Amino acid sequence: MEKKNEARLELASLSLPAMIYTIAMIGFPFIYTIWMSFHATTAAQQLVFNGLGNYSHLVSDGEFWHGLVVTFYLYFLSLALQLFFGTYLALLLFRSKRLPGIVRSLFISPFLIPGVVTGMMWLVILDPSLGAANYVLTSLGLPASDWLASPTWVVPTIAIIDTWQWAPYVALIVLGGLQSLPPSVYEAAEIDGASRRKVLFRITLPLLLPTIMTATILRSVDLLRFFDLIYITTQGGPANASDTLNIYGFRVGFEFFQFGYASALMVTLSVIVLGAVLILNQLRNAVAW
Amino acid sequence: MLDHKWNSKFVTAVFAGAFGILATGLSAQRSMADDFNWKAHSGETVSFLASTNPWTSAVMKYKGDFEKLTGITLRVDTYSEEQMRQRLVTVMNARSNEVDLFMTQVSREGMQFAAAGWYRDLMPLAKKETAPGYELDDLSPALVKAATFDGALVGIPLNIAGPVIYYRTDIFEKCQVSPPGTIDDIAKVAAKIKKCDPSVTAFASRGLKPALPYTFSVLLHNMGGSYMKDGKSNLCSPEGKKALRTYAGLLKDYGPPGVVNYNFYQLTSLYRAGRSAMSFESSNELSSIMENEQRLGDTGVMPLPKGPGGSHPITIGWSLAISKFSSNPDAAWYFVQWATSPKMQAKLALAGIAPPRKSASSDQAYKTWLDKQPVRKQWQQAIDFLAANGNSDVAYPIAQNPVSRQIIGQAVDSILLGTASVDEACKTADEKADALIAQQ
Repeated sequence: MEKKNEARLELASLSLPAMIYTIAMIGFPFIYTIWMSFHATTAAQQLVFNGLGNYSHLVSDGEFWHGLVVTFYLYFLSLALQLFFGTYLALLLFRSKRLPGIVRSLFISPFLIPGVVTGMMWLVILDPSLGAANYVLTSLGLPASDWLASPTWVVPTIAIIDTWQWAPYVALIVLGGLQSLPPSVYEAAEIDGASRRKVLFRITLPLLLPTIMTATILRSVDLLRFFDLIYITTQGGPANASDTLNIYGFRVGFEFFQFGYASALMVTLSVIVLGAVLILNQLRNAVAW
Repeated sequence: MLDHKWNSKFVTAVFAGAFGILATGLSAQRSMADDFNWKAHSGETVSFLASTNPWTSAVMKYKGDFEKLTGITLRVDTYSEEQMRQRLVTVMNARSNEVDLFMTQVSREGMQFAAAGWYRDLMPLAKKETAPGYELDDLSPALVKAATFDGALVGIPLNIAGPVIYYRTDIFEKCQVSPPGTIDDIAKVAAKIKKCDPSVTAFASRGLKPALPYTFSVLLHNMGGSYMKDGKSNLCSPEGKKALRTYAGLLKDYGPPGVVNYNFYQLTSLYRAGRSAMSFESSNELSSIMENEQRLGDTGVMPLPKGPGGSHPITIGWSLAISKFSSNPDAAWYFVQWATSPKMQAKLALAGIAPPRKSASSDQAYKTWLDKQPVRKQWQQAIDFLAANGNSDVAYPIAQNPVSRQIIGQAVDSILLGTASVDEACKTADEKADALIAQQ
């Protein structure tokens, strides 16, 4: 009994620093944000309690709904592209085991580049007047595009840039999953004479589903909170075509100084992210084997 | 809600009175204080929150001189403009004394920060301890007025800037066109250039939503328009509509592809690369445009030409302010008066920082620097015009000025992108702005 208590004490003392850190760095700011979301910010930057005022304003705020639509549009488009190309890249890397290490590293390097650098780099490449992208297109006799300056194409363009950066990350996760698949299943398929296509769609991909779901959860958290790339490249423009909830909340807080309303926006976004993670986690458990 | 015109008159009167008292006080002090003690705060430390810009880079070269002269340690935190503002807001909301002095754009955030009580009134500090020769009345009156709220002087101007047109003299000559004499001429000149040399962008200006009110405001004022009239938004006035139509039309018909995302960075890159014939951009951009001296011999500079409402350029600048929560305001004032002294501003002018002081712009070394290149002389002439005739009314004169900039930007961009007519865009803008004004 005494030994058990000693072990508990030891466990508690070892985990205490981590708990304090979590409460101080995550718990406190989040609770403070929730508290602020029930306050209005006056011109003199005083917080005045206004109950659910910010949340009722949010329901009638057209820019909030617009931000929500853009957030989900960008989320689904980017996620679909990243899962497709990430899985494809993983299969390619898995089968090309003889590829030199440096080439494999190059394939997965984009996600190591900071988002700000990625944004600046693509901003230059996609500049409609001076950028390399339009130069290449027009040299090939194809029409030039406005890319990030087109209200129609801005979200797909951002999704493509993000896919360029993060599909290799998905590939890395899927590659790990591929390497852990049981060889016995493939041996059985070979004995049965299954074609490569059948092996891919009937064995590999279904067995990879839990891994793909893990990648989906990890990317969902980032994609729903999409910020840096948009802030660097378009700041939510042209007009408000790429104004996600996170960008809108940032502007309300740090440009308009309405911290109460910005907190309500961020709490709402956090609930959305949390809800998505919970649903996806349930789905992951459902496909686990 | 105070009537805007009455409010302006009142502020002007208070400003003039306070300015007079201060000037008298300073002259009296000057005669007594020949032996000004620069070492009065030796051993103290002041923290300065700065924005990354040409003024900061230029003044920091002399940081050692300040510390040697005063014995004060200057701790500098430099961030990009947006990040600096975020940090400042966080520090100020916490009522922290972490920042003693900071850079501020009073035309943008002045009303808001003043309402929040974040600025310290510099008048009492200036009266108390100011070195001889510090001529406050030598600073641009327009900028000092813009930095005065309810009689309190909240910042000392560091530079003077405003939108000007940079134009290519060689292209104008080739296409046999003269610089535009009126706003209506801009489209005519641009059309001729477009026809004569389709490879260049005839006219470029800001299209990025939050950034474009800086340039659009000059056009609106020159058209005879105003943002507010009788306490209401006034963008749907005939002058306002004409300004919206003209600005969006110029960018649509003669601007570069993707102009809707253009800020100073893209405009400067385009002009420097020789790809635009006219670029309506901040006077601050001269040094960036002249990098590598590619455009030194073929560039002219002029203010935006007059319109039906006359000529009312925008004149803004960065100012140096002391935090209300500073625990060391006296030592902070020593840095302010050193950095904005006539001697220092004359030195900074040689680095291309347009001086907000009359004396600095007539300094001999600066004159020699200007005389070396015709474009520099034209640039200084344009700035002199801005200083003499300018106002700082970028967007709505309300505490929520940054929000109002988004509203104006959205109106222009929706016309530019063809998602709204001029009538629809101005109506939406007026509705949103009126709601904002009502919140005041």
